[in-house]
Amino acid sequence: MIELRQIQKNYRRGAEDVRALRGVDLTIEKNELVAITGPSGAGKTTLLHILGCLDQPSHGDVLIDGVNTATMPESQLVKLRREKIGFVFQQFYLIPGLSVFDNIALPLLFSKKPADRKKIEGLADMVGLSHRLDHAPSQLSGGEMQRTAIARGLVNDPDVLLADEPTGNLDSENSEKIFTILKNLRDQGLTTIMITHNAELAARAQRSVRIRDGRVAA
Amino acid sequence: MTSYPTLAAKNILRHRTRSLLTMLGIAASVGVLFAVLSFNQGFNEGLAAELERTGLHFMVVPSGCAHEVAALVLHGAVIPKFLDTQVMDHVEATDGIDLATPILVAQLPDQERGTIDLIYGVDMEALPAIKPGWQIDGRMPRSPHEILLGYEVAQHDNLKPGDVFSTPAAGIELTVAGIVGLTSSQDDAFVYLPIATAQDLLDYPQAATAIGVKVNDPAAIGAITDELTSAVPGIQIVTMGEVMNSVSNLAASARALSLAIVLIAILISAVGVMNSILMAVFERTQEIGMMRAVGASRWDVFRIILSETTILALGGGLVGILIAVLGARLIEAFVRSVMPFVPSGDLIRFDPVVALGSVVFIFIIGLCAGIYPAVKASKINPVEAIKG
Ligand SMILES: Nc1ncnc2c1ncn2[C@@H]1O[C@H](COP(=O)(O)OP(=O)(O)OP(=O)(O)O)[C@@H](O)[C@H]1O
Ligand SMILES: [Mg+2]
Repeated sequence: MIELRQIQKNYRRGAEDVRALRGVDLTIEKNELVAITGPSGAGKTTLLHILGCLDQPSHGDVLIDGVNTATMPESQLVKLRREKIGFVFQQFYLIPGLSVFDNIALPLLFSKKPADRKKIEGLADMVGLSHRLDHAPSQLSGGEMQRTAIARGLVNDPDVLLADEPTGNLDSENSEKIFTILKNLRDQGLTTIMITHNAELAARAQRSVRIRDGRVAA
Repeated sequence: MTSYPTLAAKNILRHRTRSLLTMLGIAASVGVLFAVLSFNQGFNEGLAAELERTGLHFMVVPSGCAHEVAALVLHGAVIPKFLDTQVMDHVEATDGIDLATPILVAQLPDQERGTIDLIYGVDMEALPAIKPGWQIDGRMPRSPHEILLGYEVAQHDNLKPGDVFSTPAAGIELTVAGIVGLTSSQDDAFVYLPIATAQDLLDYPQAATAIGVKVNDPAAIGAITDELTSAVPGIQIVTMGEVMNSVSNLAASARALSLAIVLIAILISAVGVMNSILMAVFERTQEIGMMRAVGASRWDVFRIILSETTILALGGGLVGILIAVLGARLIEAFVRSVMPFVPSGDLIRFDPVVALGSVVFIFIIGLCAGIYPAVKASKINPVEAIKG
């Protein structure tokens, strides 16, 4: 379970103070599929990065399974990211020099675990890429790249998968495939939080949270 | 993929041309470093061996710049000063001397051909000892009117063994017995003939530029040279040890200069490495942000980038040594063309210790060059990087 209490995030941009988040309260239960929506600049990505222990709030508490991460040092945050969090991005961010297999296995390098071939093949199978394991990212379609990125996000067996507009660069057919994968993951017990501008997908999530001007809109 | 080096290697392969050029910069400077270091070793060993093989213990030369003279006589150069004719008699009359062989180096103008021949008169029996490195096409002269030609002389006059070599002196007909293989030194420009014939050509009986001396008991060299210098005016004695010293000092200062240049070259290539890795880091800002998000610590990022530098430096270092070993003969030919006295034989020898030392050195330089980009990379803020 993740609990956000009165989260504020302020940035300085020159002389101006940007208040990206202005007191967000949000509880996400285990095994939920939550869609986060809202206008551009509302603070969605900022929120997701705080949820994912990649960024720290200026004020407020972040409780992940009861542990407050808001004041943790980076050395502990990186451990949490390895153990509990999976990230998926709009721009995929695959490493061009590595095969699909190696891209999926990349986080294992950082968590110092061996690249278990069976496991990676299993993940590739789950996202429908078993036949592509030896391919380079440049040989993949956008949908395949994003599915590779999802497999990469899952390789450390996270509790939570955080996806920032995972279908933002994809056509509706590929978006549908990604959404189906995320839903299946939820059915298997994963907590999934997805930022999306796609109202139709958001409506099909279990819960949809709208962010506006740095706050949760009613 | 199981390790940081593998990941780093794959990253390097993404920019093959850039990585290759960076590596070549390293390779060139390491190659030269290795060559310069090995060169000195090979040079001194070669020099010692060569002087040893001459079987001569010291040389008697006209007083003046004696060390250079001795070195040049060994090497072949014209000295416009002869020993007085009675010097030979004195030397031969001295106790404890096993062999004294006069050497005559002179210019011989030939008005008819409009050329000046450089002649080197020597006892042909003693020649193999003085020039142990020579390869001869044909055979050694056996009669007073047989000669050897330096490679360039033979080329220039288009002469083969058995041909007649014309001289300005009337009544003296010389036959080419053999041609000395290319030495890439001044030796190539000389005509080698029996000393008596050379003296006849100059019309200067008993003339000698230097006298090479071998003693019965090397321990007595000091006493003999003292006796000779006090007895004979206008001469100076140079022992082979002194020749070796002055020549190797010359080589050492040449080496010091080249080392300084090599170190600057290495510094420049290290800056090249730093630049190339920095470029790679900036291009991959987003990717580094992604890696932080999926669990890489600052230290992980630091290590990946440092591994990339290390691979470039090590790869370049190894290639450099390979090039230096393969190109050793070229470098030697160059050195022979610029240094006044160069022993025959290999100047650059492969010494694993020197090779390892050079590679370790460039490895350390590479590490230093890699630290700044690696620190930069580790400080990339993942949140900002991912927004791209
Ligand atoms: N590093 C930063 N420095 C200054 N301002 C920032 C920084 N990061 C985000 N902001 C500001 O914070 C606000 C929220 O940004 P955020 O990226 O969270 O929006 P978003 O809801 O994800 O928008 P989008 O839908 O366009 O991705 C914006 O006004 C943005 O300009
Ligand atoms: Mg965003």
